[in-house]
Amino acid sequence: MDTTEKIAKLKKEREEIIESASKRVPEDTYIDKEVKKISSIYHTIITDIKEETKDVKTFTLSADKNSSTPNLAPFKAGQYITIHLNIDSSPVTRAYSLSSSPSLANKDIYKITIKRVENGLVSNYMLDNMKVGDPLDVSKPAGEFGYSMIKDEENVIAIAGGSGITPFMSLAYAILEEIYNCNLTVFYSVRTYDDIIFKKEIEEINKKKKNVKFVITLTREEKEGFLHGHLTKEMLEPYVKEFNTVLMCGPKDLYRSMNEILNEFNIPRKSVHYENFFVEYEPAEKLEYKLKVVMKDKVEEITCKNDETLLVAMERAGIPAPSLCRVGECGYCRSILLDGKVKMIGASLKKAEAENDYIHPCVSFPDSDIVLKLDI
Amino acid sequence: MKYDYIIVGAGIGGLSAGLNLAFNDKKVLILEKNSLPGGFVTTFKRGRFEFDASLYDLLDYGNEEHIGSMQRLFKKYNLEIETLPIPYNVKIKSIDDKFEEVLKGEIDDWVLRLEELYSGSMSTFRSLLPVLKEVHEALVVLKKGRNVEKDFPNFTKYLDKNAYEALVDLNIPDATIHVLGYLWIEIGSPLNKLSFIDFAECLYKYIFKRPVALKNKNIDFSLKLAKRFEELGGKIHYRAKVKEISLENNPKVTLEDGTTYEAKEIICNLSERYVLKNLLKESYPLANQKENARTISMNGLVVYLGLNKPYQDLKLYNYRYYEFQNLNSAVNLKSMKKFSHHTIEGIVPNIVNEYASPKNTTILVLKTLYSSNCWNTVNKTNYYETKEALANELIEEFENAFHVDIKEYIEEIEIATPFTMARYTNSVNGCMFGPMRLGYDNSIHRLISYEDEQIPHLSFVGASSIFGSGVDNAFYSGYYITEKLLEKERKEN
Repeated sequence: MDTTEKIAKLKKEREEIIESASKRVPEDTYIDKEVKKISSIYHTIITDIKEETKDVKTFTLSADKNSSTPNLAPFKAGQYITIHLNIDSSPVTRAYSLSSSPSLANKDIYKITIKRVENGLVSNYMLDNMKVGDPLDVSKPAGEFGYSMIKDEENVIAIAGGSGITPFMSLAYAILEEIYNCNLTVFYSVRTYDDIIFKKEIEEINKKKKNVKFVITLTREEKEGFLHGHLTKEMLEPYVKEFNTVLMCGPKDLYRSMNEILNEFNIPRKSVHYENFFVEYEPAEKLEYKLKVVMKDKVEEITCKNDETLLVAMERAGIPAPSLCRVGECGYCRSILLDGKVKMIGASLKKAEAENDYIHPCVSFPDSDIVLKLDI
Repeated sequence: MKYDYIIVGAGIGGLSAGLNLAFNDKKVLILEKNSLPGGFVTTFKRGRFEFDASLYDLLDYGNEEHIGSMQRLFKKYNLEIETLPIPYNVKIKSIDDKFEEVLKGEIDDWVLRLEELYSGSMSTFRSLLPVLKEVHEALVVLKKGRNVEKDFPNFTKYLDKNAYEALVDLNIPDATIHVLGYLWIEIGSPLNKLSFIDFAECLYKYIFKRPVALKNKNIDFSLKLAKRFEELGGKIHYRAKVKEISLENNPKVTLEDGTTYEAKEIICNLSERYVLKNLLKESYPLANQKENARTISMNGLVVYLGLNKPYQDLKLYNYRYYEFQNLNSAVNLKSMKKFSHHTIEGIVPNIVNEYASPKNTTILVLKTLYSSNCWNTVNKTNYYETKEALANELIEEFENAFHVDIKEYIEEIEIATPFTMARYTNSVNGCMFGPMRLGYDNSIHRLISYEDEQIPHLSFVGASSIFGSGVDNAFYSGYYITEKLLEKERKEN
């Protein structure tokens, strides 16, 4: 046979095989169906609100069974969700660590615990206005913080400052439910007895004398049964073993003082994980700049103070800018700085992103007038 | 707003199509659902490590001496990238065959090693080389739409032969055939169902246009392509997820937010199956039949590890590691139907690129593949547990197979499952290589039947399209398909 004949033969064979197949639209595989259930936004309803302390509440969120997302996504202890609200016609978001057991997500329930922040737009709104029965849209759980069976050690020391306790409640439940096989000691540093969040749950867990233990230190109050003052080497010493994994969640001051202590125990860098919790930045002089936002089909000019992030300025102006972690880590808000200078605090930018003028608006404070390309 | 061309997806195929069209002064819009370009060719950051998702060996780019077709196109578009040579340095192990060898050094060195193992390898391998060249040259002629008569007797001879048959015919010792076929085990096409033409073209690129590594990260490569496309006048909208494509009357694309864009032609950097299932408003029975007849390729588990020691300390001296159950691809395929890791691929980018990770650290990427529906037992209640358990097994099996200690040095870890890949790239079933190149559906068959199977005003580019998976093929598909479209345009005018 020559080439033309062979090509004709191959084409005919192919044609015959194709013609014998079904004419129906191809079906989804199991994986395709499961992936379709994953959404970037889940519609939930607040089904319970529990007052933990005078300025902390735990919100139980259940999947809205009548919505397009009747089931919630699974999560790993340590992950967060981002809640979406519309306050005074501004779209705003905030990320909160999930404080409930990962197994509750199988029943389509998430819990988040919110502490009132002085002048905090979202925390005050949540604590003062939201009631049982209200709808709330939340993101898919995200974040890298947590325990890994593969790389982490069996002895886990968690350091929590204030509301930084929330991811460790989830981790504690995960360990008690044998999702993870490890020992956890949570050092919980809190101002006073009345500020302790999850007081009852912690008491019950400590009573079980299992592989999870909470050690509470009160920094501004002396009380029987509790340690007093900031965490010290001596407080940790009895719980440090040959190999340890340290998880920290709280304000940056806590990380700084703890790192000094951890160095004394010779705990290697790879065994210490931090949750980025706050973006702290205070400009020397308060100024206001122009912010020009170039979107797909329109351009908006707004103002941005130098003590607020570009993301906050856009939200205030009603621009629905995307956001997820709000601490510079996840890259969901990435945008291109077309002109101007920003101060970026702790953005986890890839080298190539930095070279191509990408910034994370959620942690970018203006240092001049700004022109931003935002793909929405 | 009306465009000449709308491209759905800024993967490598989509960017390549965009580059060629913009270079030819067409008005082009690329719609990308993610916030960065590249599709599978992307990079993610964990701690102090930047992990490349997929592209480690760039084929068909070549070097200064041996210029591959991709480099030629890059020169035309005035695109510059920095590359590093990849020496032969592969450790291959097969459990059933009790085979363990390192193919290293120059080509003559490792062919000599094969000769020592299996007599007759060297002379027959030498006589294979001109056949590879001839097949490549015949394909160049065929792709230009010209007649392949007479000048290419070997192309004609082996056109309807599978790789195994042809290599036997070329007198290559049986064991050597299976060693040469190791790369295909990875993609899942057994040699007795893979066209010799597809096999020869890939081996030609591998031997004559040595693969190179990117000096910079995957995302740098993708951003360079996207940036050049924009400089040439093209437009990309990110975070633009397409909901519907309609071809009747005026071809148009509708986004999830309701925005509609019209164009004369629509090009999808998505698999045909995904588009037929999820996006296309009208129904095309023949296109459905074509998809239903096909076999979806493998999916798998990829474990990215950031290790806190230099590779020398970890005794990871090879660039790539493979462990197979059986070197015979047809037999090995059967072992990939369950959650076992008897097909392991390991890559240590630091061996070829000192910039792959921070000083005194190493990146190790482990991959295993599954050819059946074993993921069907995984649901939201056991997802994270299963994923971690499988990754853990994979790491331990790699340690055992190659006698190294990895686990205690893991500083960062990320695990990608078929669910991750399906969600990020819309690949059907989370598969990594598009429709499998098998039997009647190898790249050569897709090429010769291309014009007969076209849906009017809709084309496909990328790793799921005509030339199959691999960045070289995805990029070339973007060029080839747009050349066809430009030619059609010229004829119509």
